[in-house]
Amino acid sequence: MARSKISRRTVLKGLLGGAAVSVALPPLEAFMNSSGTAWADKSPFPTRFGIWYWGNGNLPAKWAPAGEGPDWMPSPQLMPLASLRKLITVVSGMSVQTANTVPHGSGPAGLLSGDDMKNDTFSRPSIDQLIAASIGGSTRFASLEVGVQRANKGISHTGPNQVNPPETSPRALFDRLFGAGFRAPGDMSKPDPKLALRRSVLDAVTLQAGRLKTRLGATDRSRLDQHLDGIRQLEKQIDALGAAPQSLAACAKPAAPKDDYPDVEGRAQLSAISRVVSDLVAMALACDQTRVFTNMFSQPVNNLLFPSATEGHHQLTHDEAGDQPQVDAIVVSIIAELAYFLGALQKVQEGAGTLLDHSVVLATSDVSLGRTHSLLDYPILLAGGANGALKTGLHYRSKSSENATRVTLTLLRVLGVHATEFGVGPGRVTGGLDAIVV
Amino acid sequence: MTRFFSADEVGIRHPRRPAGLLGLLALLVGGCVQVPAQDPGPSGPFDPPPPSLRRLTQGQYRSSIHDLLGEDILVSGSLEPDAAIAEFFAVGASATSISPRGVAQYETLAYDVAAQAMAPEHRGALIGCTPTGASDEVCARASLVALGRRLWRRPLTGDEVGELVGIATKAGTTLGDFFSGMQFAIAALLQSPNFLFRAELGHADPEAPPTAKRLFDGYELASRLSYFLWNGPPDDELLAAAESGALDGREGISAEVKRMLGSPRARRGIDAFTSDWLQLHGLDDLVKDTLLFTQISPEIGPAAREEAERDVQRMVLDSDGDFRDLFTARETFVNRRLAALYGVHAPSLDGFGLARFPEDQPRRGLQGQIGLLAMNAHPTSTSPTLRGKFVRTILLCGKIPPPPVDVNTGIPEPSAAARTLRQRLGGHANGACLTCHRQMDPIGFAFEHFDGLGVFRTRENGVAIDATGSLDGTAYSDGNGLASALHDHPDLAPCFVRRLYRYASGHEETFGEEAQIGRFAAGFKNGNYRVRALMTAIATSDAFRRAGQDGE
Repeated sequence: MARSKISRRTVLKGLLGGAAVSVALPPLEAFMNSSGTAWADKSPFPTRFGIWYWGNGNLPAKWAPAGEGPDWMPSPQLMPLASLRKLITVVSGMSVQTANTVPHGSGPAGLLSGDDMKNDTFSRPSIDQLIAASIGGSTRFASLEVGVQRANKGISHTGPNQVNPPETSPRALFDRLFGAGFRAPGDMSKPDPKLALRRSVLDAVTLQAGRLKTRLGATDRSRLDQHLDGIRQLEKQIDALGAAPQSLAACAKPAAPKDDYPDVEGRAQLSAISRVVSDLVAMALACDQTRVFTNMFSQPVNNLLFPSATEGHHQLTHDEAGDQPQVDAIVVSIIAELAYFLGALQKVQEGAGTLLDHSVVLATSDVSLGRTHSLLDYPILLAGGANGALKTGLHYRSKSSENATRVTLTLLRVLGVHATEFGVGPGRVTGGLDAIVV
Repeated sequence: MTRFFSADEVGIRHPRRPAGLLGLLALLVGGCVQVPAQDPGPSGPFDPPPPSLRRLTQGQYRSSIHDLLGEDILVSGSLEPDAAIAEFFAVGASATSISPRGVAQYETLAYDVAAQAMAPEHRGALIGCTPTGASDEVCARASLVALGRRLWRRPLTGDEVGELVGIATKAGTTLGDFFSGMQFAIAALLQSPNFLFRAELGHADPEAPPTAKRLFDGYELASRLSYFLWNGPPDDELLAAAESGALDGREGISAEVKRMLGSPRARRGIDAFTSDWLQLHGLDDLVKDTLLFTQISPEIGPAAREEAERDVQRMVLDSDGDFRDLFTARETFVNRRLAALYGVHAPSLDGFGLARFPEDQPRRGLQGQIGLLAMNAHPTSTSPTLRGKFVRTILLCGKIPPPPVDVNTGIPEPSAAARTLRQRLGGHANGACLTCHRQMDPIGFAFEHFDGLGVFRTRENGVAIDATGSLDGTAYSDGNGLASALHDHPDLAPCFVRRLYRYASGHEETFGEEAQIGRFAAGFKNGNYRVRALMTAIATSDAFRRAGQDGE
């Protein structure tokens, strides 16, 4: 059948810069712990990657733990993670060094894509999409973008103006993952006969897009390529529903969440929603529906009213005087939700380890100190050992305000993207952060 | 270092106006000094950027389904979100693509919509023949030729029809039902980039020299006109005008524009513009502390949005009034909830009716409505800065850069010496903050008579409200004075012309379009600021029919 040969993978490979990077396929073998940890079909547990993101930063003075190396003690703001301490690496003292031209935008763009924002958008793909291009090919969803705050701006970018918006309705997320057509392990019901018809419709749409493309300039062709990439991913999702479910011990279809979580007294039910979303994402990973995710707990510049706060979050970061006790309480409450999320991954047993052991989650924000939109001493937490590839239980404190993209490059490599460098201009690095790599 | 993206590929591709030495100096000095536009003169050439695909916005997707397949069809579930660029969703639609999740959502919706369209009580309107069996190629072809022309806003090619008939036949045979088969063909039409994107690309003008601009054909122009004026697809008459060649000439275009502005669909078009222009999507999800603002309810935001939309509708389509009066008007449309917030009698038990702001309140114009006041405020307080910024940037086209990094933006706590927010914001009047904040705060102070929700108050923390301020040299004592200053501000009308042109063209205006925008602005002024005439002027202009050559 006639089909464009330009795959998402080729596109992203181009974005990474030709000679500088080759995207290795298949990527996982090198990072598998071979000591008997494997799925029933003997394939090793894959390494999952995720971003856990919140808006408006932290309070650096209350963030960095006391003590370095393995002997760190949680700081006040990290106290909710105390019981997970051995599974977490805190990276402090590093800075996003790309230009800081867009408050709340330049930080995540610099850390996750290696370049500042340009014309109101990331100018390069974010790390999750680079990793998804490498390891997302075998799962139903190449990547999954979810969120807790009711909003639709995403940080996951496939390219300029190519945002992957988060799904923030728990019910819609459930329907997408586990709704019609999903079959849990052991479910021997027949796949829907309409799946093949849906496939043939997508074939026609692909032909139509191909014809339209010949009439377009370069920018519009690239936009249509993303549309075509989405169609290919949808085809893969349909194929996955048609295939017999994998035998995955930890996978079970979860119960459907409530349809709606309305605000209570003008305040979003962030904790309740976050926990439902956390459990759904954990099960999506356990059922190998995806291996890459971005979870946006809250948006950059969000002005949400947190429980017992007297003003919106963003407003407080700027206006609250002194040590900003309200901002502090909000950050602690957000980290508590991160702890719940990581706990949800830890609860999923996979062989001798847990889903968290087989994952690495980068938890970060859009600034460090919100009051000044600072990108110094950037908040960076890594959770999970990436199948033994990363050390855990460390506090790495940079003495020289190193470039935070060193962490990004390390994560790319750990996930099997053999990148020799990452980022451009002041964001460019050629070396990772060896201190956290096994 | 390898360049990973050409300049064309990093977002908005249209070159911005060269700032010139003066502009550069201004940026170096303070960042907030207005950059004087280079004036290309009244007879400057029209040199527009090349065309772009425009993705249907959420509103356009819905109206396309409703207009073409049936008003009663429910479009439920979420759609790919719109993204604002240059402060307009209409511009974002020319740059964004569709995410993988969006593709999946469009698929789900396509089948949902197609099933409703082919339901027994509904399909008669769309299928003009009686099928002879589960597969009837002749009936499928006739139906898909007609449906396809509407949904894709142009006639389909033979290949395109053939593929769709193939889908209908295969699915009809598999499922044993003609109409079930048609659902799959309709779903293909709806998922196609030919539906989801408006491919208004133009062609080289055969009668012009090679350097001339690309010219839109009749179908492309029909689509441009209908999404501009109706925020929806061309109707059969407009498609017929395209087919007959009537849209190739000024007379035919004028006749269609006149008809379209007289259609009820023009109200939807005005609403869409109003909402995009004033960023009223911010009212869909207001965050307000319900303990402080006890009258707030989830219906307030959408009601306030409707209020502003109705006021603009009335001015443009009913009274054909002076645009500037939108900012001094005391009359407005309210429902019962809004009436209660304004402290006026509800004009009607249900729905909206005309009311008058109380004479003893300094509340006037769109900028004095609950919508803009609540949207440009914080969850528990007002914000003179946000309110002032809105007026400065959206209404007057001023540019305010983000605050510099490493500036302590903390505001002192209320104290005996500084009990009101205005007093506490005094710090903005110093040093580095002053350059930008003096462009915003003095405007915003005029709204301090209205709390974070927009409800009238005379005191804050026991202190009488001080709403004095000035707008570019015109001093005032409260919102009444600001309304007059805004009405008479020399930038107000030109800024509106610029915004409407940006909305209509779907891109941030380029230097090559300045002369044309200047001509529209001069016509707007000479015609006593009639928006309907301005929309007509834009829609019927030669500029609206042309795009630049692609750089390739």
